[in-house]
Amino acid sequence: MTAQEHPPAPTANGLAAPDGLDALDGLVRHTTVHGIPTLFAPSADRQITAGLAFRVGHADETLPTAGITHLVEHLALHHLGLSDLHFNGATASTYTLFHVTGDEDEAVTYLNGVCAALRDLPMSRMETEKEILRTEAGSRGKGPLSRMPLWRYGAQGYGLGSQDELGTWSLTADQVRDWAGTRFTRDNAVLFLTTDRVPDGLDLTLPAGRRFPTPPATSTLPATPAWLHGEDGHVVFTSVVRRSTAATVFAEVLGRALFQDLRQKGGYSYSAEADYSSRDADFATVTAYADALSQKQDAAVGGFVDAFARLRAGRIEQSELDSARGKLLKRYDVPDLGAALLPSYALSLLTGHRILAPEQYREELRAVTVEDLREVAREAWDAGLLQVPGAGADWAGLTQAPHFSPSGVSGTLHPSLEDEDVTLIIGAAGVTLSTPAGLVTVRYDGCAAMTTRPDGARCLIGLDGFQVIVEPTLFGEVTEERIAVLDKAVPPAVIVPLPARPAAEIPQPREGAAPRPPAGPRKKAGAVRGESLMTRLLRAGRRK
Amino acid sequence: MGDSTDDGPRPLVTDPFDAVPALAPLRDAAWDGDWEAVRAFFEGIAADEATGVEKISLAAALLAGVDRTEWFLEKAVKDRPAGPLPRTLLAERYVQLGWRARGRGPAESLSWDAARQCHDWLCKAELLLIEVCAEEPAYVPAWTTRLSTARGLGLGQSEARRRYDRLAEHHPHHVRAQSELLRQLSPEWGGSWEAAHGFAEECASAAPDGSHAGVLIAEAHLEHWAALEGAEAEEYLRSTTVRDELLRAARVSVLHPDHRRDWRWTDSHSAFALALSLGGHAGDAAPHFAALGDTVSESIWRNVPDWRTRFIEYRTAAAQATP
Repeated sequence: MTAQEHPPAPTANGLAAPDGLDALDGLVRHTTVHGIPTLFAPSADRQITAGLAFRVGHADETLPTAGITHLVEHLALHHLGLSDLHFNGATASTYTLFHVTGDEDEAVTYLNGVCAALRDLPMSRMETEKEILRTEAGSRGKGPLSRMPLWRYGAQGYGLGSQDELGTWSLTADQVRDWAGTRFTRDNAVLFLTTDRVPDGLDLTLPAGRRFPTPPATSTLPATPAWLHGEDGHVVFTSVVRRSTAATVFAEVLGRALFQDLRQKGGYSYSAEADYSSRDADFATVTAYADALSQKQDAAVGGFVDAFARLRAGRIEQSELDSARGKLLKRYDVPDLGAALLPSYALSLLTGHRILAPEQYREELRAVTVEDLREVAREAWDAGLLQVPGAGADWAGLTQAPHFSPSGVSGTLHPSLEDEDVTLIIGAAGVTLSTPAGLVTVRYDGCAAMTTRPDGARCLIGLDGFQVIVEPTLFGEVTEERIAVLDKAVPPAVIVPLPARPAAEIPQPREGAAPRPPAGPRKKAGAVRGESLMTRLLRAGRRK
Repeated sequence: MGDSTDDGPRPLVTDPFDAVPALAPLRDAAWDGDWEAVRAFFEGIAADEATGVEKISLAAALLAGVDRTEWFLEKAVKDRPAGPLPRTLLAERYVQLGWRARGRGPAESLSWDAARQCHDWLCKAELLLIEVCAEEPAYVPAWTTRLSTARGLGLGQSEARRRYDRLAEHHPHHVRAQSELLRQLSPEWGGSWEAAHGFAEECASAAPDGSHAGVLIAEAHLEHWAALEGAEAEEYLRSTTVRDELLRAARVSVLHPDHRRDWRWTDSHSAFALALSLGGHAGDAAPHFAALGDTVSESIWRNVPDWRTRFIEYRTAAAQATP
């Protein structure tokens, strides 16, 4: 731990309430602890839960630095590795949370330890932790939802949640230290505690900094609603809507409508559900999912389209609204409500979303009408992205999401050694893979990352999510000189060197074999991480 | 009746509008582009009765066959965007245009352009029908047309079945819809003969006596026959099993004492007459030719080369075979 001057001890309500916290008077108290805005509310539970959240997540990273936040989180928790305390850290799209449940001393020790580690990260551990993250990523399942962020946002911002953590290969100690020093600051943090007072002995000294707003959203969808092909057995829909109480009710109604139509009535699906989760201060992601038996998946798609169409048409029974509303109201019908809501309030404070007192929320819930739901249904459909198995979904009025680039580049031609109809073009402005079905292009000035191998292989990934893999063994005359063109043209900041591959992993042309599966032009899928952690905490709170 | 006379055979009546005089006002309205008259015609059909739904579906299909009706139907949709009828009739017309763009050849002979045009028309129809079915889930005519779009757009067996099930919740014995699904269930559209014959049998036995549903059995056999070649095709309809199935189906449907002649009668008798004649069962075909007289459904007979001549020959043979 570094020796340094600590700011004054915590003061109780010494400052004017930030951002509408007054609305929570009598439910949640607030103060600052070493400059960190702090929310606390008592719980009858013997143990306390505490969380320290920072406004930084995957969406703040870039593709070559992807994983940097996760790495800081791991480094900050490293010293606690062998403790049997119930604690964890989580990196989500827009926040990182360190949380603990235990007695007061344990919570204080944990929080102090996290902050001490953040002030002075154990950089000697960095390479080991990078290795651990790579292993973690390898063992993480890639669910049916995993491609959606990439297809909506590209390989940037909110699209990075489904990307590989490329940074685990190339991040330097300086980059990691700088990220911790600017993002894990007292001004970019919120603390919450399920206690009636701030415990003694906290030392949460962190450098000063600034509150980072959530990143702006990017889009790679020229037209919505859009659709894309997905694997058999899954129907996936995501959309982005303005955050509102009506929208939370809508997601509930949608989930029930899908369950009723696809499972109870049709028997096409086993799971059929919908979810609402905030993306940033102003927008939320609505997700709907249905699985399908392979013999019935066309009906699952059709039933999905029709169920949504019914809600858009406003043919919503009052009883559907009432039961969805009832369920949401019940969430607020718990002992120690203030404590249970702390994670959600902390996140609102962090992202700048309005703080809604329970009574206000109940009032808003009671005011939601069928007409409001219809408006949300239309908004959700209009911005939607639907992943379907089988024949596509243009028949339902959706536009196919771009699966090829709008144009190519000119340059040297390198015929594929496996498929005479495929040609790689290495040009001055970018690279293009020309296939009979279309062009896949990554321009150097729109390159999110390029990985490099000592054997000459290069993989270029565009900000729009398209990727071109340059394997010198699979295309004609990809000489060292041509590879040097790439290395010189791609901005150094986005180059990610990867280690040498064993000779057996270097691909060789397959003579006479069936051609490789045509252009999975998109980056391969990644995993969805930590996005519903706050929700889980909220639920855990209710059980107490 | 339909026997030849000394002056030679009279010309055949092949236009369904001529075959059913009650449909004449609809044709006039369609020719005049008179939406109000079209609307009045459909609203004059008592939709609450089972036969009413059949009539609406059948009239919608006939109207869709009249050229250029999309002009006034599009205007009607613009003027009355909330009503299910204008959108359903327009969709039905788009479907007709789609199938016409596609042509009647097998899928392999289809040009990319024709396939694209057909697809686009069917998509236009489908979008209207998604709306109508979302707003009025009990509106059977729209679901019926959605069986046709499902088939043409290649939405798959399970989706077609889902649509039929949604329709059957409201109208369990809708013969036009059953006939649509029957085609989907045939191998040509991704099904199997087992599924197609099974469905026809299921519909025919579930329907009340004297309904048209028995014709589905004839349609299934005709489809099956059309898919076979040469001697195999000839033998198929000659088999006593097939003949017995046809006779039984005719007995419980169009030849049943409870059967009432309605707008669909030419189609049903035409199918039985054709299937039995092709199988060489002239005598068994006789009651159907007797009912038809000079009237015949072209849509059923046109698969036979030089079908008009053959119709007259078969009809004569049937008359001579009659005891």
